[in-house]
Amino acid sequence: MKTRLPFTQKKGFSRLGVMIILMTASLAFHPIYGQSSEVSATQTAQKERIIKGLISDSYGPLESANVVLKGTKIGAVTDSKGEFTFPKALKTGDILLISYLGYETEEVKIEANTSFIKTILSEGLIEFVGALNTDKPYKSKKPKH
Amino acid sequence: MKAIPYIFLFIFACQSNAQVADFDSVNFQRTDSIALAWKDENLTNLPALVDKLTANLTTDVTRFRAIYRWVCGNIANDYNLYAKNMRKRQRFKDDSLKLKTWNNRFKKIAFQKLIEDNKTICTGYAYLLKELSELADIDCEIVHGYARVSTTNMERLDAPNHSWNAVKLQGKWYLCDPTWASGLPNPETTRFEFQYNDGFFLTNPELFAINHYPVDKKWLLVDPTKHTFKNFLEAPVVYGKAYAMSSIPLAPTKMHNTLRKNEKISFHYKLLKPAKKEDISLLIDNGNSSKKIHPTSTTIDDQSLTLDYKFEKTGFYDVHLFIGTDLISTYTFRVKS
Repeated sequence: MKTRLPFTQKKGFSRLGVMIILMTASLAFHPIYGQSSEVSATQTAQKERIIKGLISDSYGPLESANVVLKGTKIGAVTDSKGEFTFPKALKTGDILLISYLGYETEEVKIEANTSFIKTILSEGLIEFVGALNTDKPYKSKKPKH
Repeated sequence: MKAIPYIFLFIFACQSNAQVADFDSVNFQRTDSIALAWKDENLTNLPALVDKLTANLTTDVTRFRAIYRWVCGNIANDYNLYAKNMRKRQRFKDDSLKLKTWNNRFKKIAFQKLIEDNKTICTGYAYLLKELSELADIDCEIVHGYARVSTTNMERLDAPNHSWNAVKLQGKWYLCDPTWASGLPNPETTRFEFQYNDGFFLTNPELFAINHYPVDKKWLLVDPTKHTFKNFLEAPVVYGKAYAMSSIPLAPTKMHNTLRKNEKISFHYKLLKPAKKEDISLLIDNGNSSKKIHPTSTTIDDQSLTLDYKFEKTGFYDVHLFIGTDLISTYTFRVKS
């Protein structure tokens, strides 16, 4: 705010302009309060902890499924038993994105009592087709004269 | 209320401009070299792959381009897989239960093949491009539909046979075909060879609609009343080079034409990339022999190419239009007396 007010005065904004800036600024600050209170609640409820999990489909464990912390690049890949250990300690409210080619991506929220995640991915509705391209010139089948 | 059709028309008119030319100022050299640098990556960790491809890029168009270029340069078309699927689909086409069982089985085989061997068929390309784009927070959809090439058996084109993508960049939807962009079969060995064709990236939708027809017409991105399924079935054959050269055939609108001896036929094209008048030629094949001619009537004005031709003898002709050595399109003419 301190940086903004002199700026508006210099430009000679109308009262309405100042009000708009104030309102915008209050909107911008609002989520910050929301977040900080959430963090403090989380800290008292649960410490950050290492999460493990098992990813499978309707037939059994899935190897090479991807597990990523939403909004980051931190992730893990499941082993041959379909299991993973997430490399970063997670806190309540974090969301893991679990994906695998050919399956619907699942979002799993870390709850206060979560320590192990068991997720069954469902297969995406997809039909495989394919037309090949070619640069072979078209040739008519000629009627016989 | 009367304004509603005009509003729709306006929307379609705007969308028809959604093509790579919107990003003329963007240089894709850097993105393409990033895609090349990660050539040996595999598909076991998709989020990590997306991160490698896009980490140093700031705009959605360059991030999408890096992903698209990687897919086109690293995923091979598997012709055996294609042939096997087509045979089964044809066999089960009237038995929906068996077709469904086959689909489920094939899906497993296809995804396994994609992950282990970096090989797939169209839907696999489209699926992978969507999956990677979504990991990069870019809206990308698979579009299922019908596609035609010079060897397509039109009598068998009774079910969707191809998949491609629509991608949303800067609030606008664009079309691309990663499968056809990736390469072609070697004419002798018929084995797939990587041969990137940039013409299938954010293609002009008017050109795209000539040999791609989506099941859901909203993915035409052009006015569906001007581009009907019938128009698509009757359209001339266009080749990959038409995409590479951004040449849009406008007339004749049909592949098969009948006319009289000495009757004038006009060819009309929109050329989005510059071409020289002397490079335009017709290869006319009467079934026994062929001749290449440079019609004197050829004119190129702004982006508009027109040329006229008259057949002096009756017969049945295949007519191929070339720009330089690039085959653009093919028509047939039955010439009566």
